[in-house]
Amino acid sequence: MITSELQGRALVAGYGSGPALVSKTAINFAAAFGRPQNAIPGRRAVINDRHHELFKQNIKGAVLLFPACIGSTFTGMVLLQIMYKKEAPLAMVVQHADPLLIAGSVLAKVWFNCGIPVVEYSREDLYALVRTGDIISVNGVNGKITIQTVR
Amino acid sequence: MRIDSEQDAILKGDRGEVISRALRTLVDYGTVFNAKRLVPIKSAHLAGSFGTISYGAYFHVLDQILKEGVRVKVPTTINPRPGHDISLLNRIAFIKQNALDYKLKALGVIPNYSCACYEQDNIPAAGDYLAWAESSAVVFSNSVLGARTNRNSVLIDLCSAITGYTPEFGYLLDENRSGNVAVKIKINQMDATALGFIIGQKIVNKVPVIEHFDFSRSDLKNMGAAMAAAGSIGLFHVEGITPEASDIHTAFAGSEPESTITITQSDLNSLRTKHLDNSRLVVFGCPHLTCKEASDIAAHITGKRLTKNIWLCMMPQAKSDFEKTDYYKTLDASHVSVYCHCPLAALTVQLRRKQVLTSSGKLYYYLEGTEYGTMEDCLKACET
Repeated sequence: MITSELQGRALVAGYGSGPALVSKTAINFAAAFGRPQNAIPGRRAVINDRHHELFKQNIKGAVLLFPACIGSTFTGMVLLQIMYKKEAPLAMVVQHADPLLIAGSVLAKVWFNCGIPVVEYSREDLYALVRTGDIISVNGVNGKITIQTVR
Repeated sequence: MRIDSEQDAILKGDRGEVISRALRTLVDYGTVFNAKRLVPIKSAHLAGSFGTISYGAYFHVLDQILKEGVRVKVPTTINPRPGHDISLLNRIAFIKQNALDYKLKALGVIPNYSCACYEQDNIPAAGDYLAWAESSAVVFSNSVLGARTNRNSVLIDLCSAITGYTPEFGYLLDENRSGNVAVKIKINQMDATALGFIIGQKIVNKVPVIEHFDFSRSDLKNMGAAMAAAGSIGLFHVEGITPEASDIHTAFAGSEPESTITITQSDLNSLRTKHLDNSRLVVFGCPHLTCKEASDIAAHITGKRLTKNIWLCMMPQAKSDFEKTDYYKTLDASHVSVYCHCPLAALTVQLRRKQVLTSSGKLYYYLEGTEYGTMEDCLKACET
């Protein structure tokens, strides 16, 4: 096992550790979680966006790594909802944080004390260093990302 | 972030728990983007207009706000209703619609119920600071009207509406409003919506500057909505057309573009369905149609033998105006329905296979089983 550490920019405080789920495609969370089937308990965080590479995957309990979020201003509300219902990822690492993504976690923190940590890491080597299934820890206070590679 | 004494008092709870939390939300949100201060806004536009049980957290926050009797502090408009009354299934899916409407009224929200709030009820001036949600309205107000708003989420919009502030970052600042990517067009048959869709897919988090083309106001509206759905663009410029791009030099604030992309006719054509026959329903009006836009469509389909169901989704006031026109009176009511709801929400909850054709890039992106056609394709399909 190889352990490596990356320094990102801490955006939303907190700590999360678990299996990485990596996407190289920007995510439209409103399209992903806006389907009627996302109202079913246990299925709330399934990406039901046919345009996306993680189509049909449940992101609950993973550390999600992705380039950016796109699309509707429902984004913050649908992210808040999965955090509120405890079906959210454990943490998020994003290459480019935008206001909609951050809104979800900040709203969850201020109104329900359940916001997940978010760290921004912009460099492209992210995808060479982290693969889906690696165990990854994200520290939203100091921005450190620790990767345990199991290949 | 610098907090003035009034804001500090609010954070400490002088005006109640809810206002304090709303302001705390804006401070934390702005701090992530290095906002230096909170600035007063002229208006807000809310996107949270669908009364579904799926958004429990949203309702929970609304209830907390109303319990303290808090109302919006600035003129605030709201997105369309979701078509809660068009079928039994929709009534079930949007069972909380009446409750939501009541809450919005108690908050003091202007009941415009349209995503095209900038056409009526909430018309910003160039340079106004706003806190709007609804991606299509944000991109229109920034790009076409020269007002200044970030792409705010549902609930961030509400925190701004009840406090009257937004954090100063992003599109509120001059330095983030100039273009970074030049878009060249090699197109002989313009389709602004498809162009917007492809720009949205290719450019994420940048400000595109499109070379001069004589787009209409409707073109700009539909192009922006497609960009914002297929991507995350909140501001674009068109050389010589939009207010902050009198010429290419101004649009890029004197700098060179970071990159240049070229969009060709074949890029646009690749979005278009080849099977106009596949659809059973043709939808126009995402974003909502004005009276003129609906009249233009009606002019093409009136008197024709229609083979498909057709939805025209309109701003409520525009619908009233449209219903007084001769176009409306001659429409074949057995095929054409004129609504004020959001076609995306109304159709998303329907279970049957969606055989929908639309000229909306936004609806095409979000609604599973939808095909895209140019306005001409869609008009042709109505009688095919």
